[in-house]
Amino acid sequence: MNNAVAEQKPILECRDLRKAFGAFEVLRSISFEMQAGVVLSVIGASGSGKSTLLRCLNYLEQPSSGVVFLDGEPIGLRRQADGGLKPDSPANIARMRAQIGMVFQQFNLWPHMSALENVIEAPRQVKGLKRAEAIEIGRHYLGKVNLLDKADAYPARLSGGQQQRVAIARALAMQPKVMLFDEATSALDPELTGEVLDVMRALAEEGTTMVVVTHEMRFARDVSDRVMFLHQGVIEEDGAPAQVFGNPASERCRAFLSSVAH
Amino acid sequence: MLDNFNRFVIPNLGLFMDGLTITVRICAIAFAMAVVMGAIACLIRLYVPVLRYFAIAYIEFSRATPIIVQLLWVNYVWPELFGFPKSVEWAGIIALAIQSSGYLAETFRSGIEGLARGQVEAGLAVGMTRAVAFRRIVAPQAVLVMAPSIINQFAVVVKASTLVSIIAIPDLMYDALKVVNQWFEPIEVLTSVAVLYILTIFALSATAKRVADHFRGKYGLDAQA
Ligand SMILES: Nc1ncnc2c1ncn2[C@@H]1O[C@H](COP(=O)(O)OP(=O)(O)O)[C@@H](O)[C@H]1O
Ligand SMILES: [Mg+2]
Repeated sequence: MNNAVAEQKPILECRDLRKAFGAFEVLRSISFEMQAGVVLSVIGASGSGKSTLLRCLNYLEQPSSGVVFLDGEPIGLRRQADGGLKPDSPANIARMRAQIGMVFQQFNLWPHMSALENVIEAPRQVKGLKRAEAIEIGRHYLGKVNLLDKADAYPARLSGGQQQRVAIARALAMQPKVMLFDEATSALDPELTGEVLDVMRALAEEGTTMVVVTHEMRFARDVSDRVMFLHQGVIEEDGAPAQVFGNPASERCRAFLSSVAH
Repeated sequence: MLDNFNRFVIPNLGLFMDGLTITVRICAIAFAMAVVMGAIACLIRLYVPVLRYFAIAYIEFSRATPIIVQLLWVNYVWPELFGFPKSVEWAGIIALAIQSSGYLAETFRSGIEGLARGQVEAGLAVGMTRAVAFRRIVAPQAVLVMAPSIINQFAVVVKASTLVSIIAIPDLMYDALKVVNQWFEPIEVLTSVAVLYILTIFALSATAKRVADHFRGKYGLDAQA
């Protein structure tokens, strides 16, 4: 990364993020900054806190402490006149979330809406766009995931790979500043992961800012600009793919990588 | 047999149709009220922590009290306590509505809780508020999932409504008993009335089921057996 880029204001920043469920600390002081246009892959063993981290980033999970900033604005908290932070209103939290796209492992499409309706739902309901305008945007993003021909199909009639691509289009249709992917291909049959990874790769090449939790090590190595290894809620390794995969500083990261390599 | 049918059923068909009209009216109004009251009780139970135990108490009370006790209670005690209902018909409607609302509240709750949590999260993640997610994602699907139980609950209301005759509402059952007590020939009259009840319930259920199946088919979900 050159200096000009490094000096930009980060699009996403985590400051001393912690999350506990009861007495169980899932995230322990996560801090990092991320520039626009960067593709960050998050890897780590199951249970290391990857999903929880993503869910804290868009406030689906309320952090126990610490702050996430999107484009300089704190999420879930509101700056007071005296500079302090207070809990934000649900409407403002929703407004912030609208700027962060999320793709779930289980797709979570809405089964009572067609593919196109899934995609235009948030532009209509959240942004308040007119139907014609929303449809234009919806068709644009369905085209981007190569599913224009399935616009009128209901989710139950789509394959897993197609459903996940609709889910990606649904998130993109809000034109978010950051896209979060939580193991987007883990629920898919192996022969269907390719079509979803291709779409994600294309997005990365277009300069979409992405945080990708993945078990696809090839994707993490080939597509991302940066790889983070999480272990028991702590960032153990954070660097360029070549460094993390080629010469990890952390012994645990080294062990994890050799355990997932076939 | 046919003779009795001709003597006691045919001449009273007009009376029975009047009774059926009242039965359908009472059931329709009571059920509509039950849906609204059940929805409110369910939403309070799920989403309004401070009032949650009131909702639970109401739901448990309405389900645990026999319909006949509620009928008598609303008809004879309420006017003393609250000054209404002013007519026996409204007393019958309110008693039926109270009882059904408790069952419907629980049906609604299972429909809402059964919906994959991920779908609401997907709504929140694109920037919906909880209210919008409920209206656009939860409610339409919950109605579909619950359609069979809701239809069933309507049949229960129609059946329970046969008891409103004890507070002298001239519904179908009331008229039937009147004719029976006049001539002491119960077989043809009660059989005919039973058929009328069956047809009424069947017509309503079949219509509702067709509507639900239409949407399930449209969404590619399996039609309910
Ligand atoms: N809502 C929750 N309540 C309690 N424990 C949770 C909850 N969500 C996650 N956890 C726990 O937090 C840990 C990390 O979970 P998660 O973030 O899903 O890990 P990963 O995505 O890396 O597999 C796990 O031990 C999990 O059981
Ligand atoms: Mg996970």
